[in-house]
Amino acid sequence: MASAVLLEGITKRFPGVIANDGVNLDVAEGEIHAICGENGAGKSTLMKILYGMQPADEGRMVVNGQEVKFSSPKEAIALGIGMVHQHFMLADNLSVLENVILGAEPAKNGIIDFPEARRHIIELGEDYGLKVGTRDLVESLEVGERQRIEIIKVLFRGAKILILDEPTAVLVPQEVEELFRNMRELKANGHTIIFIDHKLDEVLEIADTITVIRAGKTIDTVKPEDVTARDLAELMVGSELPVPETRESTVTDHVVIEAVDAAADDDAGSPKLRAVSMKVHKGEILGIAGVEGNGQAEFVEALMGMRPLTSGSISLEGVRMKGWGTRQRREAGIGYIPEDRTRRGLLAGFPLWENAMLGQQSMEPYVRNGFWIQREAARSHTGKIVEQFDVRTPSVDVAAHALSGGNQQKLIVGREMSAELVALIAAHPTRGIDVGAQAAVWEELRQARATGLAVILISADLEELIGLSDRLVVMLRGDIVAELDPTKVTPRDLGSYMTGASTQGGES
Amino acid sequence: MGKKLFYVLAAPLVAVGVALFISSIVLLFAGANPLSAYQNMWEFGTRLETLIETLNRATPLYLSGIAVAIGFRMNLFNIGIEGQYVLAAIIAAKVGAEINLPPILHVTVIIVVAMIVGAFWSGLAGFLKVTRNVHEVISTIMLNAIAVSGIVSYLLSIWDVPDASLDTALKEIPESGWMPSLNGFVEIFTRDIKRVELWGFILVAAAVGVAYHVLINRTRVGYDLRASGENAPAAEASGTDPKKMIMAAMLLGGAVAGLVGLPELLGDAHEYNLRFTRGLGFAGIAVALLGRNHAVGIAIGAFVFGWLDRASGVLEVRGDAPREIVAIMQGVIILAAVIAYAVVERKRREDEAAAAAAATAQVLAERQAAKEQGGAS
Amino acid sequence: MRKQLWLFSVVLAFALIAAACGGDSDDDTTTTTAAAGDSTETTAAATETTAATETTAVPAVDTNVGLVYDIGGRGDQSFNDSAAAGLDKATAELGITPSEASANNDGSNREELLNLQADESDLVFGIGFLFGDPMLAAATASPDVNFGIVDGFIEGAPENVAMLLFAEEQGSFLVGVAAAMKSEAGHVGFIGGVNMELIQKFEAGFVAGVHAVDDAIVIDRQYITEPPDFDGFNDPASGKVIAQSMFEGGADVVYHAAGGSGNGLFQAAKEYSDANGTKVWAIGVDSDQYLTAGDDVKDYILTSMLKRVDVSVYNTIKEQADGMFAGGVKIFDLSVDGVGYSVTGGFIDDIVADLDDWKAKIVSGEVVVPSTP
Repeated sequence: MASAVLLEGITKRFPGVIANDGVNLDVAEGEIHAICGENGAGKSTLMKILYGMQPADEGRMVVNGQEVKFSSPKEAIALGIGMVHQHFMLADNLSVLENVILGAEPAKNGIIDFPEARRHIIELGEDYGLKVGTRDLVESLEVGERQRIEIIKVLFRGAKILILDEPTAVLVPQEVEELFRNMRELKANGHTIIFIDHKLDEVLEIADTITVIRAGKTIDTVKPEDVTARDLAELMVGSELPVPETRESTVTDHVVIEAVDAAADDDAGSPKLRAVSMKVHKGEILGIAGVEGNGQAEFVEALMGMRPLTSGSISLEGVRMKGWGTRQRREAGIGYIPEDRTRRGLLAGFPLWENAMLGQQSMEPYVRNGFWIQREAARSHTGKIVEQFDVRTPSVDVAAHALSGGNQQKLIVGREMSAELVALIAAHPTRGIDVGAQAAVWEELRQARATGLAVILISADLEELIGLSDRLVVMLRGDIVAELDPTKVTPRDLGSYMTGASTQGGES
Repeated sequence: MGKKLFYVLAAPLVAVGVALFISSIVLLFAGANPLSAYQNMWEFGTRLETLIETLNRATPLYLSGIAVAIGFRMNLFNIGIEGQYVLAAIIAAKVGAEINLPPILHVTVIIVVAMIVGAFWSGLAGFLKVTRNVHEVISTIMLNAIAVSGIVSYLLSIWDVPDASLDTALKEIPESGWMPSLNGFVEIFTRDIKRVELWGFILVAAAVGVAYHVLINRTRVGYDLRASGENAPAAEASGTDPKKMIMAAMLLGGAVAGLVGLPELLGDAHEYNLRFTRGLGFAGIAVALLGRNHAVGIAIGAFVFGWLDRASGVLEVRGDAPREIVAIMQGVIILAAVIAYAVVERKRREDEAAAAAAATAQVLAERQAAKEQGGAS
Repeated sequence: MRKQLWLFSVVLAFALIAAACGGDSDDDTTTTTAAAGDSTETTAAATETTAATETTAVPAVDTNVGLVYDIGGRGDQSFNDSAAAGLDKATAELGITPSEASANNDGSNREELLNLQADESDLVFGIGFLFGDPMLAAATASPDVNFGIVDGFIEGAPENVAMLLFAEEQGSFLVGVAAAMKSEAGHVGFIGGVNMELIQKFEAGFVAGVHAVDDAIVIDRQYITEPPDFDGFNDPASGKVIAQSMFEGGADVVYHAAGGSGNGLFQAAKEYSDANGTKVWAIGVDSDQYLTAGDDVKDYILTSMLKRVDVSVYNTIKEQADGMFAGGVKIFDLSVDGVGYSVTGGFIDDIVADLDDWKAKIVSGEVVVPSTP
């Protein structure tokens, strides 16, 4: 089959570093081609070169059999290349229709031809199963819908080759399935898709061909049927991979966190958490499994003092925390890795050292007497976190938004773990980070447990949950519906408890 | 370092350049000679007396800018500085006129009263936001109207001291409540100053600037405030109570706002009368924008605006141009500055991201190299 | 936040620029006709530029006159313009060299501008009572320069300050008489711009004049704003609303002392008359507003209370040019035609005799007009 895109010896240097070092890529027409690699391996740079956002220093690009050199995305678009960025570029207060045509307005007699545009969009939607309401305001849409609009935008401009930059990073599992359906539909219609991903099970499911990039070099191009996820991961990292397994038990019978019939409402005031009771012991990792939206988030917020309990209680070391604010809880030794790091975990425009003190801004060594910020001490402490947790950054004065997602997450994990904790709440601690960083986080959680922390782990990654937890509970509709032994449960079993297909009473 | 300096200076310099350019065009259109206008303005503006006038003008602008910036830092649009300072000034003027205390104490009492009144009035908007979720822009606009057209009018009518002049004025503050002029100090370094006095309140304003900078950057309270402004949910997760922060920002901003009218009151007028300068609260918004909420930036912004205002008097007198040209310049400076800031900020972010990506790639490359070497040996 | 800030700054910037453009309308200089009995037509056409070139061409040592307007400056169709007319007349007739400046938008640089003018002038004017304290300071600092303040009484003023005061209550008394005589409903009104001492003088005189004719006449009185809010002088919309309510309440003659807000009164008078088929009247203030207010409404302007700021400025300049300047208080009242009423339009021709009668009584002291309501 002919190549839609052929890259040969692409090299891109930034001051002091080579981002792409003679990368080769051969994408056949009409295939779904995955590009895998750790954060910082050079995937995004490569795609930016292909899309004309950055020029390559060396190398040859051939698109549809024709050698090209792009100086701007416009030229790439003209050749039928479209890119869906990881962060959507939509105007919230415009309608879907307006967003799609923005910058490529079909005009009749100098007037925007809205009926024609609407017809075209609906047609595209029908052809590829991309259902959207053209009149909806973008701000009212879910993430998955926004992504569909980005894809339609690209198709509207006539793209035959689509670049999707980590399209699944922002999606929940159901939305991922929907996306994959759309991608297959596009492929069936003759489109070529290049997509960047580091969730290996997804890559294996959807890709026809996989190219692995490591440290700016092409490592291998493989077919999914020839490799396992472990093989792929090892190709990406270049070494043997750790597994999320907790070895010897360090569980004690000292209860650190105890919830008794804890109940809470969501923001709209409807009950979201109903009479949850659980105990977490010193040296124990308690995994909470559950489909998102079944009360886990509310439970965590209640634990952290950000959401009032409507009844019941939560205690720390035997003391009821009623009336404690978040700061008091943190000062008492509860660490918190939030599930959404950009929303709850980071101050994007602040330097790393000011992000490191977030949550500990009332504690040593960041402040003296709980008031005066110790800039030097804070910087050097942050430096230690950066080193210990392998946060890759030029300095601790860089703003957090400059770091890749994985490095941001490592900083968050590092700062929480470097505090003096008795308990740690880790909500999706490895979401959206690459396998290397993932392994590092697992190792930290394991060590935390070994040093006697009580850890609550919430994750959508069932292998992670099963591998790390000493004990598992399943939450469904605000209740704990099952308590399971992770050594005896498979992801499949867990899944059926999470959806309510199995119940503990029925099985045991 | 050079780059850092570039990020800081590029935007304001571009803004002033663009403003000069556009003003020149406007002047040409108005049939004036821009060069002679600028030359007159420069000559007049660099006289010692004009510079002192400029500082007197910049002092309240600076305080107003700081008051606005405290809110901005926390993502609050406290546009109620106007009402806060006018109300604070008239009450402080009344209290100051009615009491008799030793000099330093007298001035201190007036300052404290003004800060309390300002904080109270601003705190009302904070209270409404915290308890009733009323947007502070709405509430402060209303509170401005209530303060200026309602309360201050009423207080003026009941506190007016009748005399032969047509002016409406409160009783004068006794001399112990005046802020001494700094002319004597300045004259040590320069020459005799004619006719104008450098208001002593500039020292208080400088102290407020230092306190603002230290509080915002060097204390936990300031950190909490900035964190709440940058990302409220994250700040909340870190243990910062968003409601407390709103109240803190409004109270602090209001307290500083309360000072805005005092340089004039204690340095020159010594009584509240119809001449009392209004509109400084809104000017402060422009100054805070220009100064990017930074203590030194706001000082520069206040000085630039103050200088344009004071040095421009000569334009009309010499028949160069109508003084409205200055308002155009101020407007263009803000517009150009905001655009230039946005461009520079984007550039800075891109550079930072590139540097971080480079660092990451570097580590990966080193690791790779180490591995290859290890494999080879 | 970022987006909001952006929008905000753009709006702010445009507001500043718009404010600048709004205030810059100095070329529609208005002409005021003389008070009754004074037939001199002021030639107020802008001879500024020619005068300037003339003086640069003729280096004769003459009189330099610096004039500082209050907020609004030349072109406010009111008080400042009246002073400008006096300056223009002096420039044309006496060959003085004029220099003008206007206080900035918040009025905080009055003293600076007086000082600046004092550096380069022999005579410096401040237009408006708000120049009081600044002029005291400036005049004390520059004892060799003469100063004039319109409307200002300065306690302890030095000898180089001439305080030009007007008996607004006397002129208002006469238009009050006219209102009472022309009112068929026995119901008149007064609209003040800002409720302060100066405007209360207008109110007091008007009320006294109305009641001098007929004690039973009802008088509605309302101010647009209270100090420190000075918007009442430039708020035609509010002026109109208040006037409408007065007309609807039965008043058929309404007098205003509200500067630019008076245009609202004129509009209201026209609209009410058109809608109801009965003619109601407005009375203008400061200058002859029949000539300045616009063709569509001038037929509803019964008369105007004239306050001859232009005369006071011109006379003071003339004294200076003649070497006769004298400081102290100068009252411009009916006896010197410093205040008066206009007859343009001919609507009060039938009662001029009565008005002159009252005028004579006031001048002779037989009638004393109160200056506070």
